[in-house]
Amino acid sequence: MRKGLITSLVVAAAVPTASAAQMRTVTMSRQLEDQEPVRVSVEYGAGRFGVRAMDTGLLYRMSLVYDEDRYEPVAEYSDHRLDVGVESIRNGFRGNSEGGRLDLELARGVPMDLDLEFGAVRADVDLGGLALTGLDLSTGASESIIDVSEPNETSMDLARFEVGAADFTARRLGNLNAERIEVDAGVGSLTLGLDGEWNRDTRLGIDMGLGALELRVPEGLGLQLRKDSFLTSLDSEGLVKRGEVYQSLNWDQAARKVIVDLDAAFGSVKVVWVRP
Amino acid sequence: MPVSRLANVLLALGLAASVAPAALHAQLREVVSKSVSVGRSEASLALEFQGGDRLEIDFESGSVRIDDESVGAYDIGDPLDASWRSLLGQAVALDDGALAAALADWTVPAELTGSDAEVAGAIDQALERSLRGTQVQAQVGDASVSLGDPGSLLRLLLGDRETLRLLDDALDGLVEGGIERVVISEDAVVGADEVIEGNLIVIDGNARIEGEVEGDVVVVGGTLELLEGSSVSGDVRLADATLERNLGDVDGDVVNVEDGVQVDVDDDVRRELREEIRRELRDEMRDEGPAFLAPFRSLADGVGGVLGHLVSVLVLGLVGAAVIAFAGEKVDVIAETARRAPGRSAAVGMAGAILLLPAWIVGFVALVVSIVGIPVAIAWLPAFPIAACVAALVGYLAVARNAGEWMADSNLPWTHWIRKSNSLITMVGGLLGLSILFVVGHVVSIAPFLGFLNGLLMVAGIVITVVAIQIGFGAVIITRGGRRREYARYSADEAWEAAMNVDMGGVEDSAQPKEGGNA
Repeated sequence: MRKGLITSLVVAAAVPTASAAQMRTVTMSRQLEDQEPVRVSVEYGAGRFGVRAMDTGLLYRMSLVYDEDRYEPVAEYSDHRLDVGVESIRNGFRGNSEGGRLDLELARGVPMDLDLEFGAVRADVDLGGLALTGLDLSTGASESIIDVSEPNETSMDLARFEVGAADFTARRLGNLNAERIEVDAGVGSLTLGLDGEWNRDTRLGIDMGLGALELRVPEGLGLQLRKDSFLTSLDSEGLVKRGEVYQSLNWDQAARKVIVDLDAAFGSVKVVWVRP
Repeated sequence: MPVSRLANVLLALGLAASVAPAALHAQLREVVSKSVSVGRSEASLALEFQGGDRLEIDFESGSVRIDDESVGAYDIGDPLDASWRSLLGQAVALDDGALAAALADWTVPAELTGSDAEVAGAIDQALERSLRGTQVQAQVGDASVSLGDPGSLLRLLLGDRETLRLLDDALDGLVEGGIERVVISEDAVVGADEVIEGNLIVIDGNARIEGEVEGDVVVVGGTLELLEGSSVSGDVRLADATLERNLGDVDGDVVNVEDGVQVDVDDDVRRELREEIRRELRDEMRDEGPAFLAPFRSLADGVGGVLGHLVSVLVLGLVGAAVIAFAGEKVDVIAETARRAPGRSAAVGMAGAILLLPAWIVGFVALVVSIVGIPVAIAWLPAFPIAACVAALVGYLAVARNAGEWMADSNLPWTHWIRKSNSLITMVGGLLGLSILFVVGHVVSIAPFLGFLNGLLMVAGIVITVVAIQIGFGAVIITRGGRRREYARYSADEAWEAAMNVDMGGVEDSAQPKEGGNA
């Protein structure tokens, strides 16, 4: 009886692989040639998506699992420009890509202008350790966690996040070392962690359509909030209103300051103070 | 055991090269870019060398191509395909010199014969040619490889990509110093007086350590026991493995290498498949049972349907009891309104049903626009539909009570037990009356050739139920949930009539508007 049960389970476990999508696994990598700045563009449609830094003497290493009937991998490098990801080989409805996955590792310390574009994905991106000279992240209907676990080795003028209908969380934005950060969010839940190492004063522009925004601000950081909203509630704990702006109590004394320009239509904004 | 020899050579070279790149004395061309693609019908390798040269070897759809030139054929799973995939299994984990060394060292496997050997020879030559044929020496040291059975390594490399992936992750960051022992598909025991001078790698087996390991311990797909007096100078790396006992000393970290996503996906697909199989089995059992059971099936269906409706009546009766207990007066008002103005109630109920959706949306928007009402708007979304359903249910129960009263007065057979003095019994009687067509329909369905009659009865039952709900819902709206007594004011004359069962001669309370009156 038990043997029969085990046999049945084994058969049941084996059968789905025959009926599943034609998944293909591709592993790609490229040696690091020099330390010249690289422009990296990543496009990924649906599935799970991860990015992190590595120290292996490679410019990148990509592990990709994809449905070969629907997509084909892209990995092109020339003139210090790297394009990786997948592109659809079918027109029209793309459907989901359950089981698809892209894990990308990028060289630590190489100056990099990073352009990440992904659609309906579950993204877990850690930009810590990368030397980012620019960042442009665009996501559609996704659940994204963007972390900057280590300070950016270089600096950038602008870090831009374009978020569609998503549950978007960004952590340790201070580590980006960006002069300006812009977040353009459509619909969804947005959590922005302003912790990390701030090496400069920064302007953070947030344009939000409909949704809930939570700003997690470390105690000690000077915060000024300029709000231009239509129907948006503000939970401004720890902020005082001076004229048209809200300021943290330590604004005048704070060593590092972040000015938030908030343009929101519908929704709620909450400021949460956290221990650094 | 050619397979075993191949496995040992591949593993020793692959693992040693992957963890001890410093030991490679390679004068090979630098592999600038690597792409390994493995699917069900394809297994290909694309290399780009310093200077821009490329090499592509594809096993695809039965054909072997080197740089787009066909060099032979293969069958999926044959020894040639297996050998090639095992090489790719290593190439996934290797980069730079280690990769070049592993590829350059690859030779025609001994078990290949005939055309397979010729194709493998062409691949070997292409690799040698591309890598310039310089000599490579892989210092694999004193590594020992132990296989549980000769095919275990090939099965690992060919059939289990997830294990390969875990192995790849587990080997990532392994301390330098080479491999002392690799154990596959069997248990590894390090005795109390034994010292492993290097890394210990156990794949698909359990490890029991009583002695010393001067390096990392990697366990993929098994368990690890560190007994008292044991020591590991490096890390313990567990991939799909568990640390059952930790009584020894570990100088490094105990690292759990995360499971790959493919496992989750497989689980999901497996679960879906099981559900699908269950569904199909249920459908088959329902639809395609033996023919001789057909009359019994219809009997079971019919009896089941009757019981189902009786249970529904029972449940509604319980709900009705609660409603009467907590809001008896309001039910009275609603029932009275439905009785006195059924047409108006039905019209209001229908209009209300049509306006439910717009009212829901408009209410939400209005609350959001008011800013202060945003928290209420969040509650509004679920509360409004729930309130509508409750209103329809209470209205239906009130109408059922009216129906019960009518049945009590009607002297119909089997209705003598309905007593108007008890609201609950009256309501239950009415619920039975309103659902009687469904019950009869199910009884009729037991008999053969009466499907049409059954359908008619069901449709009539549905119509009656819908009308009753409309009337009840409308009465709830008109009375504002039983709080407005416009149609249910107390009439002394009517009470007298009812109590004495006499007619007062058409005396009418002017305060009570009748159907179509001015509400």
